[in-house]
Amino acid sequence: MQKSRDFRKEGILKSHDSRRSPVAISRQALRMAGGIAAVCTLSVSVPVYADTTAISAESNTILRMGKTDFQDSRNLFPAYEYLRLSVADTDKDGSTTSLHVGGWLRGDLGDKSARDRYTDADLQYGYLSYRGAKNNLVINAGRQFVAEGVTTERLDGLYLRNDFAAGFSAAAFVGSPVVTEPNFKADDLVFGGRISHSMYKYYTVGISALKSFADSGRYREEEGVDLWLHPVKQIDVTGRSSYNSLTNGWMEHAYDIAYVPLDNLRLYGNLSNINYKDYFFRVTTSALSFTNRLIDPNEQVLTLGGGMAYTPIKNFTIAADYKHHNYEIAKTAHYYGGKLSYSQPRFLAAGFSVHRMDGNVDKLKYWEYRLYASKTLGKADLTLDVIDLNYDSTLGTNNVRNAVTVAAAASYEINESLKVGADVDYSHNPDFDNEVKGLVKITYVFDSKRAAEGRAKSEK
Amino acid sequence: MKNSNLTLILALGLMMSILYACANTTSVARVHPEAVTGLPDCTECHTDSWGALNHKAPDFMSKHKIYASSKFACASCHQESFCVDCHAHKEEIKPSDKFKDSPERSLPHRGDYLSQHKIDGMVDPASCVKCHGRQNNEGCKTCHR
Repeated sequence: MQKSRDFRKEGILKSHDSRRSPVAISRQALRMAGGIAAVCTLSVSVPVYADTTAISAESNTILRMGKTDFQDSRNLFPAYEYLRLSVADTDKDGSTTSLHVGGWLRGDLGDKSARDRYTDADLQYGYLSYRGAKNNLVINAGRQFVAEGVTTERLDGLYLRNDFAAGFSAAAFVGSPVVTEPNFKADDLVFGGRISHSMYKYYTVGISALKSFADSGRYREEEGVDLWLHPVKQIDVTGRSSYNSLTNGWMEHAYDIAYVPLDNLRLYGNLSNINYKDYFFRVTTSALSFTNRLIDPNEQVLTLGGGMAYTPIKNFTIAADYKHHNYEIAKTAHYYGGKLSYSQPRFLAAGFSVHRMDGNVDKLKYWEYRLYASKTLGKADLTLDVIDLNYDSTLGTNNVRNAVTVAAAASYEINESLKVGADVDYSHNPDFDNEVKGLVKITYVFDSKRAAEGRAKSEK
Repeated sequence: MKNSNLTLILALGLMMSILYACANTTSVARVHPEAVTGLPDCTECHTDSWGALNHKAPDFMSKHKIYASSKFACASCHQESFCVDCHAHKEEIKPSDKFKDSPERSLPHRGDYLSQHKIDGMVDPASCVKCHGRQNNEGCKTCHR
């Protein structure tokens, strides 16, 4: 706990504890290099606001409202401002230099809503990017999300990728993992990469590795193989196996296959095997660590699943799915069900699903129902979403057999840039007898005309 | 031993230089040439491997971790903020609360997740790790000390 408090003193936009070890020094050097690169690129790119410059920005102002009796009674009115900005400048040769920044601020208008603070903020990403016109060259510097094989990390650092001749590609990254206020101290420095070979019509196969250090000591070492096979148009196979070199065990094997015999019929299956001892190694939250005995390091789970989706008429889909969890220590569980859905953008989205969880403990015996509809009427969108969990037994669920959540939302597009919306949801569940929460959202989108060529990339 | 390592490094460096010098593919478009709304079925236009990125497919969520290695392709339609909505660093609003007006999207933690997380955590705790194992887990400390 003491460490967590120390981390807070570091400030909200920093990663985590910093010591003057060689690793920490190299991390600081990386940050400085990133900062200098950012300033240099900004000074070059921003004043040259020419025809080739595209600006895209979005503001989401959100006010949440509710009352909670969880742990103590509080009236919650947190107000958030989410901001994102992208500035991209395209050169004559087609290469692009861009800046991407996104983050949020929060101020509590009522009691403290989170982390025992009335105000908080976070820089979720902020990086400079160069994309070459050839060979999918990408160079990113700053806070970014890296997904390369075994790596799914947010880091402050550098990322580089490029396609080479003969179907080869390579990616490399180095930086400091972005972790704030965890239960356990995390790593200081992470680096790794991925090399892949592709025949785009048929396959992509990659090998990847990740290595990290904490206070100069080895912290994580993972290697993996990933693949994407599509030997014929109707078959698509994806998967990954990852190995933990510090525990000397396979963390995960996860593979998916899809077969599309007809344009309107899709059959799919998946298989995954996870060894808890290797997979949950050095997480930073006690919720997923071995220390509090919620996760048994000796557990292994083999999950087999599959399903089908059939679209008899355009936009209407009938789907069924099944998943079987087979544990080494815990007992097995089955999850299966079906769904009917209709989706026509900017007109109507609706769906109804029924699923059954059939496990060997009371908590894992329930029916799950969901009904939703979202209708566009002119410039307004109206949404209703009902989720109901009907437990077989009240044991282990605070004598609640039926847990239900009803959410209703409405939004109105004032013009192309401005949209206002509000929603309210009601819950009756094992933790709350009657819980009502509300949210108001104002979205403002700015895209310069040049950014709107093709697609404005707005996510509103 | 040192000589053999040096030879290997030089050979690899030479090979990479040749592969780099000979590479001449055109980068994927920075902005998708056609406007796309809602969940796209990429097979409506793409007859090649990009058709596999059909967002309407029920197994797309399970497979998108592999497709994400071509993140430059995702960036043709999605801003970085799109990834961050779920793969957050330090987030206080769950994705399904931010986008209640998009019920058709496969957003995690719909409905009453305080109760449901005890079930999901029992059935498949590994599914929590990618987003909460080493980041975005400050909220867990409220109960899991």
